[in-house]
Amino acid sequence: MNDKNFHAIHITKDKCIGCVHCMSACPTRAIRVGDGKARIIDQLCIDCAECLRVCPHEAVHSHTTSFASLDAFDYKVAIPSTVIYGQFGPTVVPNEILSALRRVGFDEVYDLSSICELNCAATEEYLNEHPRPRPYITATCPVVVRIIQRRYPSLCGQILPIEPPREIAAKILRTILPKALGIPAEKIGIIHITPCPAKIVSINSPATLAKSYLDGAISIRDIFPQILKALRKSDEDAMMRHLFPETLFSGIGMGWPLSGGETRGLKSHRAVAVSGIRDTMRVLDEVEGGLLQDIDLLECTVCPDGCVGGPLGVENRFLAKSRILELVAAAGEHAVVDQKDVSRLYHKNFLSFDHPVTPTEPRPLDHDPARAIDKAKLREELVAELPLKDCGVCGAPDCRTLADDIVRGYARLEDCPFVKTAPKEKR
Amino acid sequence: MSVAESTFRREFPVKGGDFAKAGTAACEIKELLKDLGIDTTTVRRAAIVAYEAEMNVIMYAREARMDLTVSPKEIHLIIDDRGPGIPDVELALTEGYSTATAEMRELGFGAGMGLPNIKRNADVFAIDSEVGRGTRLEITIRTNGHGKP
Repeated sequence: MNDKNFHAIHITKDKCIGCVHCMSACPTRAIRVGDGKARIIDQLCIDCAECLRVCPHEAVHSHTTSFASLDAFDYKVAIPSTVIYGQFGPTVVPNEILSALRRVGFDEVYDLSSICELNCAATEEYLNEHPRPRPYITATCPVVVRIIQRRYPSLCGQILPIEPPREIAAKILRTILPKALGIPAEKIGIIHITPCPAKIVSINSPATLAKSYLDGAISIRDIFPQILKALRKSDEDAMMRHLFPETLFSGIGMGWPLSGGETRGLKSHRAVAVSGIRDTMRVLDEVEGGLLQDIDLLECTVCPDGCVGGPLGVENRFLAKSRILELVAAAGEHAVVDQKDVSRLYHKNFLSFDHPVTPTEPRPLDHDPARAIDKAKLREELVAELPLKDCGVCGAPDCRTLADDIVRGYARLEDCPFVKTAPKEKR
Repeated sequence: MSVAESTFRREFPVKGGDFAKAGTAACEIKELLKDLGIDTTTVRRAAIVAYEAEMNVIMYAREARMDLTVSPKEIHLIIDDRGPGIPDVELALTEGYSTATAEMRELGFGAGMGLPNIKRNADVFAIDSEVGRGTRLEITIRTNGHGKP
């Protein structure tokens, strides 16, 4: 599937009561309320899930993969986001969590922290070899990629073209496992476990790959009860995992899901980390205006505090962050990935995008420049007539957006409860 | 349709010292140009020009009017400020020259990129400055197919 307008975020009509929480929260003004229901405009939605966070009626849901659907595969592999290590109490070590996931039903589970470290080392090489442009922007957050395609098209070329750890890990496994196991590639399911609704977007509708190496994304929230159950049943297993740790975790990679974690391992480059959708947009505006050129790498994650603040996690992000920081400290600063492996994969272009990020179709007021200008003028006149109270009663998030909708032909001035019209001619 | 009809004009007031609103006018200009269907490269050049010009006003002047006129062929921007003026315009147009205070530099401004950067991104650039009165910049950026690549 590679539908450019594939979305993870949907509104369940039965549950939606047509309040305006989601509409006000949407940073790209992609939601309208009409006939008592909220509706998402596909071309504007970036799958940031701000609406999902604020909906009081659980009417916004995300399409993630169900565990049951994995039965289609003979061999099931999980690669959980390192956010998962922060979801359980301070006594549960990462090896126990990976082991519990095996008991939940995965044939094999791989830790991502070493691949995060590998990505960071590859990023360093890329920055060394490419002194321009500045800043590069990391591609880990699929929402950031999508928002750049839609709102900051001139920044597409500044996205650092190294695949995120989840795709690199899946690509390595996809290359090696079929031969190692003697199972046909299509019978091996490689699944990401994540607190993020947008990962399914990057899987079903990848911006930089012909096809994602992942087969699906399960939300931490969905699989959490099963992991908890598996953990509870296994005191002996816990002792085994404590005494015979089988996975070597990377301290550099472990902190990846915390804002600043992607760039913390950079040795000789100046990086800035931004988190939260509104701050990300503010900074991208500045970059588009030519600022921040003295920064080598800009890490943007639209969830607050980084992926750890993803809406499909379970533990509150502050506790999760604190736990992950403990694990980072425990794992230490030493590298677990061999620089020679990094160089080899990097120079084979194994870690690169298949193709650069391209902008989505722009959305001018009109495709005819002269008519677009006329519509812009009309929009200004409409704004002057509107009360600028941004009440949302018309079904648009604010008065300017209503004016925009009117000139695009999606709304009428009469939709505003404050404007008393004997509908004017200019409408 | 006459030329005048297919011209969009809007003024953006900018207040000196108003760092909280820094970039607001430039952002609005950028969004507007996208809505008008101006090509990506041209929008980027205009955004850089508008950003730099707005920052100059905020850092040095008391107030200014940014006057934007857009036709399908070109973007015209006049920034007329009331402020100290520039004693040596030629020097101010030298890359790396800056009179920014330590405080401004702390905020990441004043790398001496402002005026030269505006000039570099403009197809037509005119500057007129009088010490004690103010500075007026007049910039034209031709839309793609009409100007520099």
